[in-house]
Amino acid sequence: MNQCKRVKRLLSRYLDQEADDKEVIFVKGHLAGCPFCSEEYSGLLRIKRLFAAKERKVLPADYLVSRLRERIAASRQEEERFSLVSGMARLSLRLIPVPVTVIAISLLFMALTLQQRASEFSIEEHILSGDPTTIETAARVILQRTN
Amino acid sequence: MNEDSLYIERFLSGENSAFEALVRKYQNRVLNIVYSLIGKDRESEDIVQDVFLKVYHGLESFNGRSRFSTWLYRITVNTTYDFLRRRRRFISDELTIEKTASGYGGPQEELLEKEKQELLKKALGNVPLKYRAALVLRDIEGLDYTTIAQVLHCRLGTVESRIYRGRQILKQELFRWRGEAL
Repeated sequence: MNQCKRVKRLLSRYLDQEADDKEVIFVKGHLAGCPFCSEEYSGLLRIKRLFAAKERKVLPADYLVSRLRERIAASRQEEERFSLVSGMARLSLRLIPVPVTVIAISLLFMALTLQQRASEFSIEEHILSGDPTTIETAARVILQRTN
Repeated sequence: MNEDSLYIERFLSGENSAFEALVRKYQNRVLNIVYSLIGKDRESEDIVQDVFLKVYHGLESFNGRSRFSTWLYRITVNTTYDFLRRRRRFISDELTIEKTASGYGGPQEELLEKEKQELLKKALGNVPLKYRAALVLRDIEGLDYTTIAQVLHCRLGTVESRIYRGRQILKQELFRWRGEAL
């Protein structure tokens, strides 16, 4: 019984001529004297032969090559389109700092101009108000500017 | 350097016809493995195209540690597994691909042979995929156990037991369909 177990384990290798010499001798010897294992072997052999005789499919000679050519060309076009889009995206990412800097400088310039106008306006306002302290202060500022 | 390596080298140096030579050499082998695993012609064709596209894009990274054919069969099995995972069924209808010259005798013998092939296809569809794959690589493609182990990423003992178990299940399935193992 133990021998049958061992033979069943080796049966596939034996059938597929993958067993070594020792195993072949052992299986052959066992099969000659064991009707159960011998029947198992015959069944597996029939299946193997049936499977080996299974119909084979054949593709028309250049059918696959021409289909592949089409698909490869299509995938190349796709790649090129993708690389064009990603190239433009990369370029625009690189160019982003330029308008940002221009806008920032313009904003700064505008802010400075507004501030200057506001300070000039307040000096004039102080002068017109006639407050002596204010006139004194304005005169000092004007003198500082002229110096 | 073997023929495949020469083709690969030529392809990598820009010769597309070398890739086409590889396709012509292996297309029917790949097709028969895929067809035996999924049992449907049109979808087998699509899978074969996907396999060779993967080869086309992946040849640059092929390191040559295994044989090209082993690498190709691994891609074939994995692509088919992916397809089956998406579909989760085995289909056994349609026959659109032209058949090999059969050389069957008369019309009655041809009918019997057709019936036999149909039964085998149905029975094979009921063999679990992991056993079916090992069986197909062995009996359809004639690979040795070591190569099958490399293709399926498993141990030699596992290949052996899968082939044995696969044949047993196939025998039972054929018996169930026909009452005898043909």
